[in-house]
Amino acid sequence: MFRINFHIILILGLMSTVAHSMRFDLQSGATKCISDDIKSSAMTVGKYAVVNPNEGSPVPDSHKLTVRVTSPHGSNYHYGDHVESGNFAFTAAETGDYSACFWVSDHKPSTTVTIDFDWKTGVAAKDWSNVAKKGQIELMELELKKLYDTVSSIHDEMFYLREREEEMQQLNRSTNSKMAVFSGLSLFVCLSVAGLQLWHLKMFFARKKLL
Amino acid sequence: MEKRKRFETAKIYVAYGFLLSLFGNGSVATALSITVTEFECVSEQVLHEGDTVSGNFVAIDHDIFWSSDHPGIDFTATAPGGSIVSSLKGTSGDKFKFKAQKSGIYKFCFRNPASTPETVSFYIHVGHIPNEHDLAKDEHMDPLNIKIAELREALEAITTEQKFLKARDARHRYTNVSTNKRVIYFTLAEYLVFAGASALQVLYIRNLFSKSVAYNRV
Repeated sequence: MFRINFHIILILGLMSTVAHSMRFDLQSGATKCISDDIKSSAMTVGKYAVVNPNEGSPVPDSHKLTVRVTSPHGSNYHYGDHVESGNFAFTAAETGDYSACFWVSDHKPSTTVTIDFDWKTGVAAKDWSNVAKKGQIELMELELKKLYDTVSSIHDEMFYLREREEEMQQLNRSTNSKMAVFSGLSLFVCLSVAGLQLWHLKMFFARKKLL
Repeated sequence: MEKRKRFETAKIYVAYGFLLSLFGNGSVATALSITVTEFECVSEQVLHEGDTVSGNFVAIDHDIFWSSDHPGIDFTATAPGGSIVSSLKGTSGDKFKFKAQKSGIYKFCFRNPASTPETVSFYIHVGHIPNEHDLAKDEHMDPLNIKIAELREALEAITTEQKFLKARDARHRYTNVSTNKRVIYFTLAEYLVFAGASALQVLYIRNLFSKSVAYNRV
């Protein structure tokens, strides 16, 4: 019995090293949005929690937050109302900016809530403990699998960057040709306006019998 | 009986070693965008002293059309004791890297000196490579783990650079689209102003020669 307790404590102790994530402050009444550019069909996992200002006692009502995770086109992926912690996981349907917005309801003495937020996409979001369990793989092989996945994602990212660079070149070329066309056109407009002016004034003075 | 007990204990130790390898390597990666109206801070926890914190940020300028370009974002990285570890002023995007002298919560702050809100895309990576001291503490950690950790850190450096290039590309794209729009709209505005100015000229000259105004003035 004692041995089992010891093991549980040790496991919990080891797992506590996972709790490192990004933190930010939120003024009561203010909204803060954090967005991430996610490619379609990429796995993404997010976890948020309010950092308890006084340890031991439960989180006060003024420190509860409202979360909304939206896709680039506005559809809702996750909604948490007046919660102190939560998580979300989804596979991105389209490429674009996904945003997670946090809001704390207004409180008379303006309080600052510290929020712990962890948002992982792609390789980091994959559930490695599951992969290990399923295949009964030893830990060295798991590490190398992780590295292989990282290298594949780097490779994919390179392709993506190359594509974007190609699009940029197209855009620049089109801007260049537009500038040439419009400058030529502006010269033509200038000369034609001057010509029209001259012709009109000549007609006018001829009519007035001054010329 | 003796052998079985030892085997059981060995299995438990392998399980812990496995858990430790999963959790104890402390590399954190976040690549996110935040809108900075005036001053925004993000904190990141550094678990081990001597970890290398590397990252980058890019200001994605995308709302400026009629006015001049944005002056840039100021960045400061503060250690848990309050000392400033890294500081960059008035840049549209830059990289930073420093070695954490002590473990704790490090604060990364962005300040926007202009009045228009700016979207800042940032990426912070805390990398830990286990050293001989960690090796001595846990007898089930292989020297090979150190090599794997080094390899992982090298790959993370490539990933960090890629995120920077991607964010810079996004910023560049906004600039190019804006240039394209400006070329069209400003040129059309130029034509209209030009035609309008010459029409006004003609009207003014006609007015000078009209009978109602003193004819003999000219």
